[in-house]
Amino acid sequence: MIRLLKASTVLIIILQFLSAKNILAQEIKENAEAILFESFGEDIQFSLKKYTLPRELKSEIENIVEQRFFSDFIYIYNIIKDDSSIAYGFLDNVYGKSLPITFLVILDKKGSIISTDIIKYREPYGGAVKNRNWNNQFFGLNGDSDYKVGDNIVSISGATISVHSVTKGIRKITILYEKIQSEI
Amino acid sequence: MLNKNVHIVIVLFLLVISNLSFSQDFNFFEPKATIAGYGELHYNYSKPEGGKSEEILDFHRFVIFFGYAWTEKWSFKSELELEHNLVKDGQGELELEQAFVNYHHADYFGVQAGVLLISAGLINEYHEPPGFLGVERPYYNTVIIPTTWFGNGAAVYGSSGGLEYRAVVMEGLNSDEFKASSGIRGGRQKGFKADAEHLLYNGRLDYTAVTGLRLGASYTYNNAKGDSTTNKIGLTEFHVQYQAHGLYAILEVGNISYSSGDIEASRGYYIDLGYNLGNLFNIDSRIIPYFRYSDVNTAAQTKSGGDSEKKYHVTQVMAGISFLPIDQVVFKLDYSETMVELGSVKTKLFNLGVGYMF
Repeated sequence: MIRLLKASTVLIIILQFLSAKNILAQEIKENAEAILFESFGEDIQFSLKKYTLPRELKSEIENIVEQRFFSDFIYIYNIIKDDSSIAYGFLDNVYGKSLPITFLVILDKKGSIISTDIIKYREPYGGAVKNRNWNNQFFGLNGDSDYKVGDNIVSISGATISVHSVTKGIRKITILYEKIQSEI
Repeated sequence: MLNKNVHIVIVLFLLVISNLSFSQDFNFFEPKATIAGYGELHYNYSKPEGGKSEEILDFHRFVIFFGYAWTEKWSFKSELELEHNLVKDGQGELELEQAFVNYHHADYFGVQAGVLLISAGLINEYHEPPGFLGVERPYYNTVIIPTTWFGNGAAVYGSSGGLEYRAVVMEGLNSDEFKASSGIRGGRQKGFKADAEHLLYNGRLDYTAVTGLRLGASYTYNNAKGDSTTNKIGLTEFHVQYQAHGLYAILEVGNISYSSGDIEASRGYYIDLGYNLGNLFNIDSRIIPYFRYSDVNTAAQTKSGGDSEKKYHVTQVMAGISFLPIDQVVFKLDYSETMVELGSVKTKLFNLGVGYMF
């Protein structure tokens, strides 16, 4: 019985440690899904897919945009209303100066941006990329659009690195969608 | 009884693990070291009216940023700077401009402790060469806000709803080193066994909710102390920057008040207006011609009055161009004429520069 108690204590300590990370991860998931409900109403359903990027396609898009993908996979929400798919949400990351910036891009079925949101920002500087007005600039852009910081995408003083990084990250998603829309 | 307990523990364990296996996928953070940096090479030509010209080639700044993130919330950030290529015979400087532990609790609150920058003006915290116009940093940012202004201390920061704040407590200034020609600049202790008896307090508030706009102000107070003097200084400054639709517009205005000594106030401002021609020609590179007017007086108000208030009153008219083939590399050219009020002494300046950041 004493052994069991000791084992349980060790287990609880391990689980406490793991659950700290779990809370952070859970927060990202909850924030992303809250945005889906805000955008499309409470009567939607969605499915979540962990999509592994085909190696050649990944490399092709990285060369076009001049930015690497954060990892070999991204998360894709298929947003469903009245039994049919109405939009897709792509959850991905880019690096700011040193830490990941987690963002969500919602595309309509034609691949045009409905909205972009910064789900989690971790740096002390450059957080202005979260601003709603800045994100609204991407509305309507697609994989064929220009994404020129300083022209159609306004830069932010004090957030230059984040602005360039997130802009490229969003552009990658729009190009990716054009290539994989038949698969998802 | 024993079997029942074991059963409960196993079920709990499986429940938690099954939940973790899904959610931990969303934990994108990994401990990571980061290396970044910036640098700038300058060519400076100057010719005072009726005087001898001078030409200098100077690798003004070489800066290495090193950071490490232990967790999403706890990280370390640093900047080590070599100025003017080498350190020899009192020339050139090797400076630890930033080295702090950062705790990022949430977007609205974080804490920093170590070697920090103070939050004053547009350039002290954001000083990478592609980020500002002009080969050299504006004269205003040399003597009104003595950029780069850093020291040992602690800060809190955060942002919410388009407002950003930062408050710093750090080592104070050495009032023995204040000068009529350079204001408080010489008083920076730069973290070198800094006297911590009279701490400096600094706070900034910026509004950034309008895309392209940064509008803000800061106040810095220090009861500065030296071996033979004390001097209470207060730096109040206002800054606005608008960069959108190709337009570059900047205004910084600042005032330093002094409680003792001959100088009662240092004042200055500058305006930049530029436009990115890359937008007109629909090219990816940025070509930004600009105009600057600057008016700075480190002895704007003195007890002695008269000529002492004209001797360090410098106005400057500048025209320049910045060419950024890519966002991280900039080539700069500028021509300016400065005039010192006392004696109307004019100097012509021509600068070329190349800068980078990564």
